[in-house]
Amino acid sequence: MKYAFFQGCNIPIRIEQYASATRAIFNKFDVALQIIPEFNCCGYPVRNVDEKAYILPSVRNMAIAERAELDILVICNCCFASLQKARKVLSDNSQLREELNAILAKEGLQYRGKTKVKHYLTVLHEDIGTDRIKSKLVNKFKDLRLAVIHGCHILRPREITQFDDSFVPAITENLMKTAGINNLDWQGKLECCGAALAGINDELSHSLLKDKITGALGAGAEFISPICSYCHLQFDTAQKNLPQDRENKKLLPVLLYPQLLGLCLGIDEKTLGIAQNSTIEPEDIERLKSLLGPPVEEKKRRRKKATA
Amino acid sequence: MNINILLGLAGIICFIGLFLRLSIWFSQELHRPAIPVTASQRVLNSIQSLFTTLFSSRIILVIKSLFVDLLFQKRIFDKSYLRWTAHTLIFFGFIMLLLMHALDSMVMDRFFSDYESTLNPYLFLRNLFGIMVLAGLALAVFRRISLKPQRLKTYPSDWAALIFIAVIIFSGMILEGARISSYTIYQNMVEEYGSFDEMEANALEAFWVQENGLNSPNLTKPQPDERVAFGMEVNGDSCIECHAPNSSAFASFAVKNVTRSISAAIGDSQAVSMFWYLHILACLSFLAWLPFSKMFHIVAAPVSLIIKGIVGDKTEQPATLLTHQMIGLSACTHCGSCSIECSSNMFFESFQNDFILPSEKVQSLKDYAAGKITDRKELKQLQQGLYVCTSCDRCTDVCPSGINLKEIFVSARYSLLNEGIPEVSMLSHFSFPLALAQNFVGDHIKALKTVTKLFQKSFKQLSELSFPMTLTKSDDIGNNSYKSCFSCQRCTNICPVVRSFDNPGEALGLLPHQIIFSLGLGNTDLAMGSKMIWSCSTCYLCQEHCPNDVELCDIFYSLKNSALNKIETGVSS
Repeated sequence: MKYAFFQGCNIPIRIEQYASATRAIFNKFDVALQIIPEFNCCGYPVRNVDEKAYILPSVRNMAIAERAELDILVICNCCFASLQKARKVLSDNSQLREELNAILAKEGLQYRGKTKVKHYLTVLHEDIGTDRIKSKLVNKFKDLRLAVIHGCHILRPREITQFDDSFVPAITENLMKTAGINNLDWQGKLECCGAALAGINDELSHSLLKDKITGALGAGAEFISPICSYCHLQFDTAQKNLPQDRENKKLLPVLLYPQLLGLCLGIDEKTLGIAQNSTIEPEDIERLKSLLGPPVEEKKRRRKKATA
Repeated sequence: MNINILLGLAGIICFIGLFLRLSIWFSQELHRPAIPVTASQRVLNSIQSLFTTLFSSRIILVIKSLFVDLLFQKRIFDKSYLRWTAHTLIFFGFIMLLLMHALDSMVMDRFFSDYESTLNPYLFLRNLFGIMVLAGLALAVFRRISLKPQRLKTYPSDWAALIFIAVIIFSGMILEGARISSYTIYQNMVEEYGSFDEMEANALEAFWVQENGLNSPNLTKPQPDERVAFGMEVNGDSCIECHAPNSSAFASFAVKNVTRSISAAIGDSQAVSMFWYLHILACLSFLAWLPFSKMFHIVAAPVSLIIKGIVGDKTEQPATLLTHQMIGLSACTHCGSCSIECSSNMFFESFQNDFILPSEKVQSLKDYAAGKITDRKELKQLQQGLYVCTSCDRCTDVCPSGINLKEIFVSARYSLLNEGIPEVSMLSHFSFPLALAQNFVGDHIKALKTVTKLFQKSFKQLSELSFPMTLTKSDDIGNNSYKSCFSCQRCTNICPVVRSFDNPGEALGLLPHQIIFSLGLGNTDLAMGSKMIWSCSTCYLCQEHCPNDVELCDIFYSLKNSALNKIETGVSS
């Protein structure tokens, strides 16, 4: 299996570890991720300004993948939503499709709508499947207190993203369970990290972020795992810029799902770039590793319990 | 005119040009730092850094940069083999011609005791290097034409540089071709180097006509083989020591067939001197033009690359930063690599603003730093171009001259914003990476306020309206789902932004459901002017939870689009 790897603008420069960890886990399942240097921004940043300017870049990206005869694998939620949105808009609006294709034609590209856009979690969950993942596990977490924040644009609007049940998402839940992690139930796991307001209304952006951090900590989280790259940057970078009113309080350390799964697949922490997460301290990594154990099947455990 | 006078003149112009360009490094800036730095401080600072680098272990980095970045051009090699081949062919061909041919008395005579320009390998190599340059130029032209659809902009000045070099090489080849066929030059050589009887002289001439491309007025018909064979013997005895066969100058030897007709028309010695003037004038004008053109990169790019090799892309102290940014701007060759890879390239297609492309920004920023851009419209264009940037830093990564473009653009962006022209794209997610980086925080907030003021001027708030509001015909906002609202207010109740405020009505102007209501009443302006739409975190919870499929978040997006559009057209009208 091979995909065109869509990293977006933030990941290659600010969250390289997200890409390298994703690559490393997919490598275990013989899924090749091809970097396409011609890919441009997904269009998301300009959405407040002009809708058409927001659609065009994603159309070009899909046309490029189409030319390479590859489906697209996305790791950033906002890129994912932009690509899906562009697909939907163009399938409903043939006039716009022609108009944008005329722009693409200048560089010999054409959008026909043949390329599929998949979030990497979907590929893990549907195409590879939790059973195959389980068969490769060498470790599993036990009692890891982790709060997941899904990020908005992967779930909503559901008709566009078509990712999962937007009210009770199961994919992330199942994938976390596969690695032995029981997602904490906490207020905020389906809510906004505040990234969309950063630089426009910093106060509000920070307050939304702070809400989530307090919410996760309140639920007893030791770590937080954002799915979206924007959420990641909020928790891993903007968190450090928050005015500190909590005295001497440690930052809530951030982990990415491919890093968590990677540890369970026996990939070393360096390849997974765990230390590159800027909120993580060496003792957090130690703590994390201490929670890893052999991948005991749940059935066996149940039998043990029954005999005990 | 005397050649030495011309050479002196070209040299002086070149020297003045270099002085002017170098002085810009220390006298101009993109962003005024909080504590002003004088030009002399910057010069001193640079000299100091130069010395500390030369006498420290960092000299190793300089040497490494010299080989890897300057001689091998690794940055180009990593990105495009075509460009690397083109640049290497031109670079090495031209440098070798400069050393081996233009400066032969200074270089070759000194290092090669038996150097004769008419001997091989020199005769052959000159042509080889010339052909290398021409092949490189052809590739460069091909690149410029074939990459035009990929938004590679080419100015007349870019063509001028290519044409200039082509003229130098071609005129050199034509000159050599004309000399090869020139009978006058042949006679001079015979007089100077040989003493032949008539039979020998005739045979030698026959041989040179047949083998060395000489165009003799005496010998128009093919000569008998024995005479040519005898001529070859004479040639072997008297000439070959200092003159290799002309056919080794393969390019010029081929060109001589073209020059022959010109020589026939105006006389061969006139033709030779005409081509000589053409070649010399081309070379000297190039020398004089060099510092005023993008060819200045042969000075600035190595400096820029070495600086990058030493300090990387780290932010430096203000004095050095200003100087490095100016060196960076002057090192740009307008090769367009940054624009081809620019992640914002499609925004350029949408907004048709050249300054969105990094290579075009750089050209304009040179003028901006020089204080030459005063037109408000142009400043606004440049400002938008600087802001519509995803901060992906690909331009910095790809730049063959090692220019720290991202830092230049950040500095320039806030410098322009400080001029007070409102920039509506600040209200986009292009602001996200800027907020993350925490540079120029104060300037950012100040510039945002300018935009807010413009909003207040353009839209009436709820409190400023006279009641009761009456039902008017709705504007088309591109999404009519607001019509199905049955006012359950679930949107407002679920909104995390509304929840963030103690008094949300006051803080946000209108609450989500009120925006939908005002659209229902046909008052789009009220909705567009509300603070709520700009406080929307676009989490889509309202839209997802709406029991009757009102697409609130999408409606907010289109209201934001229309509001900015209205403001922009209002500003320009």
